[in-house]
Amino acid sequence: MAGRARAAVGLLTLIVVTLLTPALVPAVNRWHATERFPPTYLAALEGPRARGRFEETRVSDLQRLNPGYVVIGDSMAGTRIDERRLSELAGTPVAPLLQPGSGSAFWYLALKNWVIASGIKPRLVMIFFRDDNLTDLMFRLDQQFRWALDLAARDREDELNALIAQRVGPLHRAHAIAGRWSGAEEARQWIEPGLMRLPAEWMIRSRRRRTEFLDAMNVRLGFDHVRPMPAADIQAGEAANLDFARDVERSVLPLMLRDARHGGLTLCFVRVQRRPLSNGPPPQSPALEAYVGALGRYIGAHGAILHDDTGDPALTLDLYEDGDHLARHARRVYTEYLYDRLRTHFP
Amino acid sequence: MIFHSLDFIAFFVFTTALYWSLSHRWQNLLLLVASYVFYGYVHPWFLILIGASTVIDYCAARGMEAWPRQRRWFLALSVASNFGMLGFFKYFNFFAENVAAALNGLGLSVNEPMLRVLLPVGISFYTFQAMSYTIDVYKGELRARRSLLDLAVFISFFPHLVAGPIQRASFLLPQVEGARRFVPERARSGFVLICWGFFKKLVIADNVGVIANKVFALADPTFYILWAGVFAFAIQIYADFSAYTDIARGTSRWLGFELTQNFDHPYLARSPADFWRRWNISLSTWFRDYVYIPLGGSRGSRPAWIRNVLVTFLLSGFWHGASWNYVLWGFYHGVLLVLTRGRAPSTPRSLRWRAVPQIAGMFALTLVGWLLFRETELAAIVRDLRLSPVGVPDVDRQTGLYLFLLTFLYSIPLWIQSIWVELHRTAISESDYSLPGWPTLALQGLACGVAFATILVLRSRTSLDFIYFQF
Repeated sequence: MAGRARAAVGLLTLIVVTLLTPALVPAVNRWHATERFPPTYLAALEGPRARGRFEETRVSDLQRLNPGYVVIGDSMAGTRIDERRLSELAGTPVAPLLQPGSGSAFWYLALKNWVIASGIKPRLVMIFFRDDNLTDLMFRLDQQFRWALDLAARDREDELNALIAQRVGPLHRAHAIAGRWSGAEEARQWIEPGLMRLPAEWMIRSRRRRTEFLDAMNVRLGFDHVRPMPAADIQAGEAANLDFARDVERSVLPLMLRDARHGGLTLCFVRVQRRPLSNGPPPQSPALEAYVGALGRYIGAHGAILHDDTGDPALTLDLYEDGDHLARHARRVYTEYLYDRLRTHFP
Repeated sequence: MIFHSLDFIAFFVFTTALYWSLSHRWQNLLLLVASYVFYGYVHPWFLILIGASTVIDYCAARGMEAWPRQRRWFLALSVASNFGMLGFFKYFNFFAENVAAALNGLGLSVNEPMLRVLLPVGISFYTFQAMSYTIDVYKGELRARRSLLDLAVFISFFPHLVAGPIQRASFLLPQVEGARRFVPERARSGFVLICWGFFKKLVIADNVGVIANKVFALADPTFYILWAGVFAFAIQIYADFSAYTDIARGTSRWLGFELTQNFDHPYLARSPADFWRRWNISLSTWFRDYVYIPLGGSRGSRPAWIRNVLVTFLLSGFWHGASWNYVLWGFYHGVLLVLTRGRAPSTPRSLRWRAVPQIAGMFALTLVGWLLFRETELAAIVRDLRLSPVGVPDVDRQTGLYLFLLTFLYSIPLWIQSIWVELHRTAISESDYSLPGWPTLALQGLACGVAFATILVLRSRTSLDFIYFQF
């Protein structure tokens, strides 16, 4: 019995020591004179972290350009719109506000903090999306992509944070609290770059040559050298997860529509066609069709426009490169196609 | 549900706490419910398959005992239903694509019927485990179980359900049926395994996985970059898969179960035979016992033995995925085994300096195998194997070296552990749970604590699924 009690104490000690060791991280951070981070604008999701700078210049650029059309989106828009061609067709400047790997949270912030904040009055603000992106608030809010939000987020984004708080469970809240407590993000800010630098320091002594090499390596492994992949980067929305009525009030879509109305802007949501089959449009589940129907009615009821590319026979497989992205040569084709389809909204 | 999620941690703590407050029968019922919640967490329809597999195998085994003369038919029912399920969900598109390609090659224009169904995770693991039960009953090595509940727990036991290790009925079923008690020493060793497993997955595998993914996404890799990427993938797949096994074994120990070891430091292997004694041991032994030996094993002529080895490895490769590169990978390892027969050390020996060239040579051969495994396009495999180390631009050479060193940096704890275990192999017993002295315990606590802190600080921002989920 004594042996069993001793073993239980041993087990308990092990667990307690393990769980308490991260408490030493803030002390190590202090010793390393780590920068303290201000509270994050997404407290529901994360602890303090180094945030990227808000791109203030976007606002002044928009004011200077005074575009007739604004395009917001991720690489779906980036690989479809030829801004110069659209500008020629429309006879007015076009401002692309694109961020690869972004989701609806970013698009909402770009609309609110760049377009509306600039005070410009374009004829149309086009927002590109796939399937259920607009009501899938958590899409691309994970660590891999979240940094992009910093470019468009102010110090406080209470409405967005409140929506996210509705979406995340108590476990994520506990995780965010643990993040604040442990100082892990502060530690990452100095340990990770050190780790990344170390091999380069072993290889190259000169700091200047090292920097040159790291820049060259980033280009070598960059987007221009990536092979095209037929598979899309996101899967089709699953039928069980497609519930427009459930998700719409927990998404940024109502905020976008409200802010656009207050700002006197017309929003045009462009649902891009996913990669088609060789002999026809991409298959859609009945649940997805019902979802898109409900989305269209909602958007229409709030004075905005939904344009859906899906099923349009003009958008054939040969226009596509990898996944749902269009090939470079197809941008002009698509731009003219979209101009034609939205003709009534262009001068 | 995935191990590296907060949902799983909450689920496991709650299940374990409730589990030890119940009697044996209720414990098994809870395990079944918990396992089904775990498995059907994202896609509840997966439960239909595992439920069907369980019921069919239960009935087949009972039928074999009730009607011994017809037992061959009951075995056929079990094997056909399990392979049928596997074939339909995992291999249908592969066959359809290849048949369509062959017909198109003959000038007959056909569009392949594509089945847009998600591959149920873990199907390759639990169907093989279920079949091991019916095959053992067929061979008379195991009696058919009367309790459907016990059999259902054996097949669906959540710690190892999705990515193994594949357990034999003769090993796990008695544990399901027997009374279990909470042993703090066993839980302690389980806790250490869990911490080490999470560290390997979140810090090592996911971080080097980013490097491997970058390299294998390149349209124009050159020699040094490619092989640095292959090295990164070698570390990723080992850290990832062995992490899953460690977490599975660790969590099982908290529930009073012991699962078999699945990895034995495979990158210190000295020959192909040695490698397969150390890598995915549960799958290798499954193929050995249910394919290789029934085919005749090493009995008979040399050509027959070569055929048996190649067939076994081809099937093993095909088990990993419905793609030709996996078949090629299996074939490659089969050929290696055939070519090195007789020159392999029969049992793992403790580490000696003179073994280093052998280990390095075998690791290089393993890397070639991982290239075949990771690169899904056959044309790209040919291109990669033809890359020359000569005439590579400076920036590519330096990039390759940088990626290699960065991968090595992340994998240092893995190498240290492997070498340490290899050096102390005779002194270490996997099943020794006796409580160490306080200094060792304190050191263990510190190691687990540092692992936990490192996970918080250095876990990859890109959370990747366990690689073997796709199989």
